[in-house]
Amino acid sequence: MIRRALIVLAVALFGFMFAGLSVHHVERQSLPPLGKRYVELVPQERGAPNVITGILLTYRAFDTLGELAVLFMVAAGVGMVLGGREGDHANRLSDATPPPRQASEIVGTGAQILVPLIAIFAVYIIANGHLSAGGGFQGGAVVASSAVLLLLANPKQRFDQQMLASTEAMAGVLFVLVGVAGLIFANGFLDNRVLPLGQFGTFFSAGAIPLLSVLLGAKVGCELSVIIDRFRT
Amino acid sequence: MAELIASILLLAGAVFHLSAGLGVLRMPDAYTRMQAGTKASTLGNTLVLGGMAFLHPGWTLKLLLIIYFVLMTNPISSHALARAAHRIRVPMTPKTTVDALRDAGEQSRGGA
Repeated sequence: MIRRALIVLAVALFGFMFAGLSVHHVERQSLPPLGKRYVELVPQERGAPNVITGILLTYRAFDTLGELAVLFMVAAGVGMVLGGREGDHANRLSDATPPPRQASEIVGTGAQILVPLIAIFAVYIIANGHLSAGGGFQGGAVVASSAVLLLLANPKQRFDQQMLASTEAMAGVLFVLVGVAGLIFANGFLDNRVLPLGQFGTFFSAGAIPLLSVLLGAKVGCELSVIIDRFRT
Repeated sequence: MAELIASILLLAGAVFHLSAGLGVLRMPDAYTRMQAGTKASTLGNTLVLGGMAFLHPGWTLKLLLIIYFVLMTNPISSHALARAAHRIRVPMTPKTTVDALRDAGEQSRGGA
């Protein structure tokens, strides 16, 4: 009885809260000064119609580099906790869980059809980051989701860890190198004007943003795939 | 006219989504809940997206792609989830009388 009364009270409180939010909500008619400045500056100065990716890969590109470092540390931490030696891992698990069995035919066939589609979509998201919604991080996550599907369809699938690790490292090094090029040939670290800005709104435009986006996508995709691979029992 | 068709489709989709939500709340065990959620929300999504296609004819191709993707992924994921639940023996409601997957497993084990 008391429990029920408490639940009713909680629901009523939430209702009160959200009612207040929706009643007092006024849609902004104009942008705040900082946002307005960015919305004007990014297409003009950086040549990217998608303001968000434009900010993330130019003005805030150094922060993006920091996020990459955080993700790298996450991958390393997961590797440390879940990695161990092959033998250990297999022994510890064999008593608790039955060996992985073949996925059902439906999942296998579905994966065969879906994985290429998802991969194409990921490439689209990454490559069009400067034009429409998307960018390296999002596309990388989609790449990793296709890796999950592959693992589900075939639990014995082995990813080439060496290849993933070296791709990831290459992408990271190139990202920093593009940044240093900005320091030498343009106005600062990770300045996108090391490459010509091109025609506004076309595929090859916005200077180094698409290049950085591709590198980001490769790095994030490889890193997340490695993390997922670690969780395989 | 197009607007009327779109409204009807959107409304029907919303009704199916509502029934999916009700099913997830009211069904007795994991399997029936999964089934209610998947079936109703797949149809609901298809109807809502179809309604959008009538409202914005320019989006039709993209919406068809999304419908195709939902029709592909939703049943497969619920199939995989249900099989995984069956494998770790998530209990069924006592009202369930037929377990075809268990029977098939026993048959293949007996045959081999």
